[in-house]
Amino acid sequence: MKKIIKSLSSTVFVLSAAFLVSLLFQKTFQTRALIPMIFVLAVFLIALLTQGYFWGILASLAGVLAVNFAFTFPYFEFNFSIPENVLSAAVMLIVAVLTGMLTTKIKQQEKIRAESDREKMRANLLRAVSHDLRTPLTSIYGSCSAILENYGKLREGQQLKLLREMREDAQWLIRMVENLLSVTRIDSRKVEVIKTPTVLEELIDTVMVRFQKMYPEQRVQVEIPEEFISIPMDPVLIEQVLINILENAVFHAEGMTELNLRVSVRGKQAVFEVEDNGCGIPRERLDKIFTGFFEKKGLPSDGRKSNMGIGLSVCAAIIQAHGGTIEAGNREGGGAVFRFFLEREVTDDEQQ
Amino acid sequence: MTSSNKYKILVIEDEANIRSFVETILETNGYQVFTAGSCRQGMLMYSSYCPDLIILDLGLPDADGLEFIRYARKSGAVPILVLSARTSEKDKVSALDLGANDYITKPFGTAELMARVRAALRNSRHSSEMGAVPGGIFQVRDLVIDYDRRQVTVAGKEINLTQTEYNIVTLLSEQAGKVLTYSQIICAVWGGTDSGSVKKLQVNMANIRKKLGTRPGDRKYISNELGVGYRMLADEE
Repeated sequence: MKKIIKSLSSTVFVLSAAFLVSLLFQKTFQTRALIPMIFVLAVFLIALLTQGYFWGILASLAGVLAVNFAFTFPYFEFNFSIPENVLSAAVMLIVAVLTGMLTTKIKQQEKIRAESDREKMRANLLRAVSHDLRTPLTSIYGSCSAILENYGKLREGQQLKLLREMREDAQWLIRMVENLLSVTRIDSRKVEVIKTPTVLEELIDTVMVRFQKMYPEQRVQVEIPEEFISIPMDPVLIEQVLINILENAVFHAEGMTELNLRVSVRGKQAVFEVEDNGCGIPRERLDKIFTGFFEKKGLPSDGRKSNMGIGLSVCAAIIQAHGGTIEAGNREGGGAVFRFFLEREVTDDEQQ
Repeated sequence: MTSSNKYKILVIEDEANIRSFVETILETNGYQVFTAGSCRQGMLMYSSYCPDLIILDLGLPDADGLEFIRYARKSGAVPILVLSARTSEKDKVSALDLGANDYITKPFGTAELMARVRAALRNSRHSSEMGAVPGGIFQVRDLVIDYDRRQVTVAGKEINLTQTEYNIVTLLSEQAGKVLTYSQIICAVWGGTDSGSVKKLQVNMANIRKKLGTRPGDRKYISNELGVGYRMLADEE
């Protein structure tokens, strides 16, 4: 329905514009030679702007009638007995149909290209992930077998070490799978995620509880506004974004002594910031920090968990799906900062 | 302790590996465990063994786990602990609305599972022994609710709650350890639901948190279950 109204309004608009321009030309240049050209252009534009053949043909018919009625002898009267008029009508129809065909074809090709791009991205993701999954699985499998096959022969310390490593690898696998699930939750065909109004404080509380369970030693300084703030979002996904960014700092911010999570309000937007005072992000990585994972080509053959990448790429995909923006940079005093923006719910008293 | 006064726990889970590790942890912690691999088998075991607690996976091969909750709730108030995937809030909410006590998200650690099991068992014991008996006092950490005097204190200092805030806090405390969904709380506090009531509840909860002086990540008295509801922590949790 919306599409029809949009097509109709653009058709009407372009045709009226063509009609007005023709009138103007006729007045100023005192010639009719330009007028059919203007209408051909109008038909071409309409076929380009709308989908399929219908509107183009409609426009060409309307154009034929308009030219016949207003701009050919006899003026302001329909007359199809003059062969010249019939011919011009036929030409305009042909233009409309051909343009329609061409544009439809181009649009189809674009769609196919977009789809194959998406497929390529998925294939890359799948390849990289399967590769990354293999390493911890190998180690879990190996450690288990070692314990089972040498049961009673291993020293207690050795056994405990193997078991701890298994748990560590399993936890890493869990994190990886959570991220993959987040990606599948963003349906690539639907642009928007399902949003529910979420209380900022409750979100941050949930994130902090989960993060502290994962990294009990890592302290995080939290700073959020006093007032009640509600943000439409998919809370599971945004929770994942914050966890990924915090975790990224734990893994990669060398020499970090301070980790801050700050949320502030800027007009209609909520600004989430995660800052550390670690080693910062190398300049050459900064451009591709959110896309690097999908573009990664030459994978390291031994591939000790290339943790970097999937987490941040997932963050970017999630924020994009929310219609927000995400950025990364280095702080002046040293350390990295990740920042993302989400539209918040404006309260009733603010609207007044 | 003889086997007869051990708590009986029924585990209904179709994945044999998960069943076996849950069984092992529970048994080493001194519980008597029965296991079932399907909803039907679970119902049979439930009626023949009368367990004190049920651990239920929602995705069973023969029927939805929600079916089981409906069945079990017809005949009693045995605590039910649901195992669920992280991404399915809807399932969690419907399980809780049907009367499940709590949920634990897969994958979970053993410490977390044991904490939830203890909380659920303690909660059921409390509610059957005390109920809302006058003279009752609720305590978690330094938060104390004196139901008779309608008084809430944190570390000995009295907290001034509005009528609605008090009602919410006491409702949660009466079922400490159990997750109450937004709609359950709204029904109990306001009587009915309308479109703005979740927001109303969230605003009240924000004020309660402010008055109790909790900061994000504290996990002191009330835990947020995003998109699901709230839970008053049971003691020692």
